[in-house]
Amino acid sequence: MIAAGFTVVVLAVLDTALPAVLGRAVDSIFGNAPAAWVFAAAGMVAGLAAMDAADDLAVGFATARSTAWLRRELLRHFVRLGVSAPERYPPGDLASRMVGNATQAGRAAVDIVRAVANLLPALGAIVALGLIDPWLCLVVGAGMPLLVVLLRAFVRDASGLAARYLEVQGAIAARLAGAIAGARTIAASGTIHRETDRVLAELPQLHHEGLGLWRAQARIMTQQGLLVPLLEVAVLALAGVELARGHITPGALLAAAQYAILATSLTSVLPSLTRLVRARAGAARAWEVMREPTVAHGAGAAPRGDGRIEFRGVTVRAGDRALLDHVDLVIPGGALTAIVGRSGSGKSVLTGLAGRLADPDEGQVLLDGTALRELGHDTLRELIGYAFERPALFGDTIGDAIAFGVSTPSPGAVAQAARRADADGFVERLPQGCANPLAATPLSGGEAQRLGLARAFAHPARVLILDDVAASLDTVTDFRITSVLTTALAGRTRIVVAHRVSTASRADMVVWLHEGRVRAVAPHPELWRDAGYRAIFEPARLAPHPNGHRRGARTAA
Amino acid sequence: MTRATSFATRRGRAAAALRLLGGALRNRRRDVVALAVWSLVQAIPAFLSGRLIELAVDRGFLQHQLLVGFGWLALLAASFVAGGIAAGRVFRSLGNVIEPMRDQLARVVVEGSIRRSARLGLPVDRAGVARLTEQVEIAREAGASVLQVTQGFIVATIGAVIGLLSLIPAALVLVVPPVVVGLAVFAAALPRMADRQLESILADERAAEGTAAVAAGLRDVVAAGAEDRATSLVERHIDAQAVATRQLARLTAVRTLAVAAGGLLPVILILLFGSWLRSYGATTGAILGALTYVLQGVEPALERLVRNLGSGGVWLVSALARVLEASAESELDSAEGTPERPVDLDAGGKRRAGSGRVRVRRRGSALAIHNLTFAYSATAAPVIHGLELTVDRGDHLAIVGPSGAGKSTLAGLIAGLLHPQAGSVQIGGVDAMAARHHGSVLRALIPQEAYVFPGTVLENVTYLDAGAPRAAVDHAIAVIGAAPLVERLGGCDAMIDPAALSAGERQLITLVRAYVSKAQLVILDEATCHLDPDAEARAELAFSHRSGAVIVIAHRISSALRARRVLLLDGGAAWAGTHDELLQASPLYRDLVGHWSGGAKTPRGRATPAALRRALSMLGL
Repeated sequence: MIAAGFTVVVLAVLDTALPAVLGRAVDSIFGNAPAAWVFAAAGMVAGLAAMDAADDLAVGFATARSTAWLRRELLRHFVRLGVSAPERYPPGDLASRMVGNATQAGRAAVDIVRAVANLLPALGAIVALGLIDPWLCLVVGAGMPLLVVLLRAFVRDASGLAARYLEVQGAIAARLAGAIAGARTIAASGTIHRETDRVLAELPQLHHEGLGLWRAQARIMTQQGLLVPLLEVAVLALAGVELARGHITPGALLAAAQYAILATSLTSVLPSLTRLVRARAGAARAWEVMREPTVAHGAGAAPRGDGRIEFRGVTVRAGDRALLDHVDLVIPGGALTAIVGRSGSGKSVLTGLAGRLADPDEGQVLLDGTALRELGHDTLRELIGYAFERPALFGDTIGDAIAFGVSTPSPGAVAQAARRADADGFVERLPQGCANPLAATPLSGGEAQRLGLARAFAHPARVLILDDVAASLDTVTDFRITSVLTTALAGRTRIVVAHRVSTASRADMVVWLHEGRVRAVAPHPELWRDAGYRAIFEPARLAPHPNGHRRGARTAA
Repeated sequence: MTRATSFATRRGRAAAALRLLGGALRNRRRDVVALAVWSLVQAIPAFLSGRLIELAVDRGFLQHQLLVGFGWLALLAASFVAGGIAAGRVFRSLGNVIEPMRDQLARVVVEGSIRRSARLGLPVDRAGVARLTEQVEIAREAGASVLQVTQGFIVATIGAVIGLLSLIPAALVLVVPPVVVGLAVFAAALPRMADRQLESILADERAAEGTAAVAAGLRDVVAAGAEDRATSLVERHIDAQAVATRQLARLTAVRTLAVAAGGLLPVILILLFGSWLRSYGATTGAILGALTYVLQGVEPALERLVRNLGSGGVWLVSALARVLEASAESELDSAEGTPERPVDLDAGGKRRAGSGRVRVRRRGSALAIHNLTFAYSATAAPVIHGLELTVDRGDHLAIVGPSGAGKSTLAGLIAGLLHPQAGSVQIGGVDAMAARHHGSVLRALIPQEAYVFPGTVLENVTYLDAGAPRAAVDHAIAVIGAAPLVERLGGCDAMIDPAALSAGERQLITLVRAYVSKAQLVILDEATCHLDPDAEARAELAFSHRSGAVIVIAHRISSALRARRVLLLDGGAAWAGTHDELLQASPLYRDLVGHWSGGAKTPRGRATPAALRRALSMLGL
């Protein structure tokens, strides 16, 4: 960064001095100045070239370094904000902050130096013109305001036009997004050409606005293309008069013409200012993420115990509504416990708290007598594992995706986990088996889910929390995995969110949630006598539900 | 990416992009000619300036003939005016060439994105919107700047060379070789710069994808305690981008030296060989003029050319390549021809010459599936395996099974959107793939994602049959239960804003659309999932009473209770039968329906299909 600042300033100085030295060198050819000026000019041009190259290096390296640093910090910070962070920063938004905004911010320092340095040659040129002849300075000075007015008018013009262009483009993009979402309908109806025409209905309008932008640019090109050279002609005319009078040398005339052009580069401040404004906005968006507090973990070691989870007075709120309302619950260690309830009853909130994917607003969650907050990060994740209905898989290969976690299991453990999750069959059929690239492996919902299960099985935890895996598995696979839960994993605490009767009936204990409260804790056969319990598993009837699907219909929009 | 493949892809991309650019230029011959002509006019100052300054100094100011000097300068001013006006015209012509190219690209992107999104088993092409708003715009801007600087460089160089020839021909020896050497060095560095720039762009894209993936799967990352591992997966791309940026900076430094060699070395040479030039008769004004040609003509043009080709050119090629890649891929999927064109066919599905109204003679069942097998890839387990199924006209079939069992895949196969590996699907005696080319005459598929577009209600509901009589539309709206919605929207001729409708309301519109269509087989693929159970029952029963067959892919098991027959899919296997038959035969079906005898007896008094139908008839359906 310091190197970049140095080269930028030296370049500015050299740029300013060059026309004067060149002028002297020309004079020396005709004996009006010492011959040494030619070599001075040659050395200066060589220096300028070298400095220019050094500047490219310095700026490139500084930008690369600060951008990469900012991106890494941003990402490392983001993953520690807690699982609700993507609600505030959806994937696309975060990616644009990290890639687009962080780059702008990474370049900001260099841009600031550049903007200031760009002023130097222009101001220097005006001073130099004054030194050659004060009248020259006046001529350029008179032309400058006109140029600024022209440019400002252009910026105003162009931004209005650009806004309209973007508006039309946005309308087309919105229709395209709609058509993409409905692509199956379009393909099935055989209306792709019709839909393309419909999406592009405003293309002529876009074409028109686009031509408008070109016209505006053409206007400014004409005006600027007239004003700057005419200013130069005026300077030349004045310098010619001074040359005729013998006040200045021919070399000075050349220098004056160059300085006149250099002075007009003062107007380049306008675009660099807009770039700075954008860079500031970009940096602000990147810092917005960095300012958020991260989830704090304790330093506690693993407590002794068999994996007993206890909820003490736990309340979770979303706005005014209580998702969990003063829940006191003990999930016994070493047992298979099913969590049952209608959608919206708080099942996923409860299981999220059980492994500290979130913290309750009130109350405490404890594992074998120790509050989850007090456990160290790695200890907590080694003690409690999760398998989700729709897992997100990470890693280069299928094997990496299974091994993904706080610790790295051996290849043998990975293979065993794949077997237990009934994922070995389809993995073995892949061209490279476990080493098959994850990105190049099309996975069905059920296959992804089995890999997610294998990931959980590969990291033997004291407590394993599972979504109802059966929901998207065929019966044979469902049966095999359930037997793993009741045999190979027997002795661990297993918490399963159950949607189907078969899942609940296999559990040692069922926790029945209703509207954020624990309605009952008992074995399944006991609860089955209750019609309300049976109703959870029954298909939707014709009578409207008090909650459930209706709620879905409203929130789905 | 190995060197060899990067070279090959680079060549391929460049070739395809240049072909497209060439096509755009050929289509706008008049504007290209105008561009060339105005460029020449724009070159007048570059050509005259040095010479006029020489004349003004030598004949005017140095001879104390001020008026003569002013006269030459006035000519210089006049040439600048002509050049300035021409510069404006150049921009207009540029717009006339570039805007049609953008139109063409936009069309390619829109059609390609819709096609790609329609592929089953793969995620929709969300990047399509970004391609439209970003890649196409990059191509537009970069294309213009590349055209502009290339013509600018050619014009300025030619102008300066002619000017120098007229001024001091000997100076050409000092100017041309450095420029050629500079261009050669730049040309040698360009392919490597292009590679690094592409690497940087790709690393950026991978970093963006990786970041989005981490954000989308943050729950899994946190639950696995693998925050560091997840970030390290993305950091690789961040570091790769930084490496590419640094390498690019090194190459840029080389490029800058090349520009310096080409543009500034002539200045030094003219100064060093000043006395030599004087011996050839060069005057003060001539040397000033020569320096002006180099400093104001050649050097800036060379710098602009190098800077723009080095970055803009690469952006242009990569953006065009991206656009073209996406459209080429999707064209493979749709090599079947134009789906909209009505074609007469006989029962065997063979095309016959003719046009106009579509006439299809149907034979056999509404749907006949024989020995159907389908897998998404050669290695994947088949989703559908040896399926046999017949649906008669007037039948009402529900397809149930765990998610991932292949229900939507089967819907895609019936609709002719997927090629089966083996077996056949016939709709009214016509092969499903051929039936697809009749639009929605034989079958209509309504997927879960209801597609409602900005247009009138009538346009939306007659989407599959534009000529449907108004009475039929009104009837459909009434029986589907969409009347209150249509009334609220302001009637059939009111405009719909899709974003203002709930997901359930959008589904109602698409259900009416399917009902209005001529299709003899309607496939509802979870098309009622956002409706409440009453509305769902009403819609399904309406289709049950519609002429022709209906297949309902069940989102709720209650759909099975209403159907005449049920098809149960489970991991490649399938069972068909009535509700009661499946209850008897399949433990999975019992589990799905909620009949479970584990420790308790089957609850009594639940609604049977017959009871349900009675209840519904009482509701007036």
